Amino acid sequence: MADILINVIIAFLAGSLLLGLHRKIMARVQKRPGPPVIQHLLHSLKFFFKETAFPKTVSMPFYIGIVFILAAVWIVGVIVGPVTKGSLLILFGVYAVYKIVEHNAGSSSGSPYGKASCVRAVLSAATELPLFAAVVLVYLKTGSMNISSIIAYQSVNGPLILSIPLAAVMFFILLLSKSPYSPFGITKDKALISGFETEHFGLLRGYIMFAESISWYVMMWLFLTIFFPPLSAAGYLIGMLVITFITAFINATTPILNPNHSVMTQITLGAVCFIGTLIMIFI
Amino acid sequence: MLDYLIYLLTFVIGSIAGLVYSYKLHGEPFVADSKLNISYCIISIIGWVLGFNSGNMIIGGAGFVMAGFVMGSRPGYGRKESAVGLIIAVLIYLLLHLTL
Repeated sequence: MADILINVIIAFLAGSLLLGLHRKIMARVQKRPGPPVIQHLLHSLKFFFKETAFPKTVSMPFYIGIVFILAAVWIVGVIVGPVTKGSLLILFGVYAVYKIVEHNAGSSSGSPYGKASCVRAVLSAATELPLFAAVVLVYLKTGSMNISSIIAYQSVNGPLILSIPLAAVMFFILLLSKSPYSPFGITKDKALISGFETEHFGLLRGYIMFAESISWYVMMWLFLTIFFPPLSAAGYLIGMLVITFITAFINATTPILNPNHSVMTQITLGAVCFIGTLIMIFI
Repeated sequence: MLDYLIYLLTFVIGSIAGLVYSYKLHGEPFVADSKLNISYCIISIIGWVLGFNSGNMIIGGAGFVMAGFVMGSRPGYGRKESAVGLIIAVLIYLLLHLTL
């Protein structure tokens, strides 16, 4: 239990600092000073102490419950990932539930912005295809869905990034789509204000930001764990910093795609990488 | 994992203290002083070196408070000092851990 608590707090703090760094790097690329690195964490903590308002149009109790489900889903992600190094399938399930939560948070708000974001959340489920394909390819290569077994496989046979690099590219596209201000981030397009989060204030927004920080940490941890050789804490730190830097640079220099282009780009990249990896494995 | 939690927490506490103190020192609406601050530089070097190289949870934590104090300064301040501290700490880490 203590191990879970420690890992959840580490995921929250590290995820918040990395998202703060992400904003800072984007700002520096765009020649702005940007906020302090700690700003994302301060925002998250601030929302926990702000007054929570409930719009009249929301559908209770779903509107409140969905936020706690979101936080719970990513805490499960920490338990299955960094704590127990369990099954990739459960983490795939966590990501699928996250998409459902994103959809329902928008629909329960009663706001037209939330509802438009809810519709886009269904479209953006296309990001699950590259993730699913990457999981399948990792299974075909290692013969296991268990993260501990995948780590053991890599310590004997070398890192998977060298043997199935296109699967790693697919997973990286997923990370890119999860990062803030992503070209694939159609659910949080600024044309929709804050998308499915628009009508969530105060404590509820605090929980959403808490979950987002954890999710950023878990997804990067998973990428580094299943595609790179067994890493030390310093290795994870450097890897997460590098991924944050690369995604921030891409997001700072790329406009957001329209929903159709976003979906088609991800599916096309996923299909090309999937077929390419199958050819690499079987031929 | 407890040591990493302590390091993160101390870095965050140092950053918050650094941000508050920095805004007290520099209330201007723009970055007024971009010269290297020697005292901040020394704090940063000591902080990062202790954080990366001490191997002790308490001393490392104290180091990360100092490193966070400088790195968490108001945007536009503490950047060069943090870079100097980080480079020196990484060089010392490599010297201690790499056997050529």
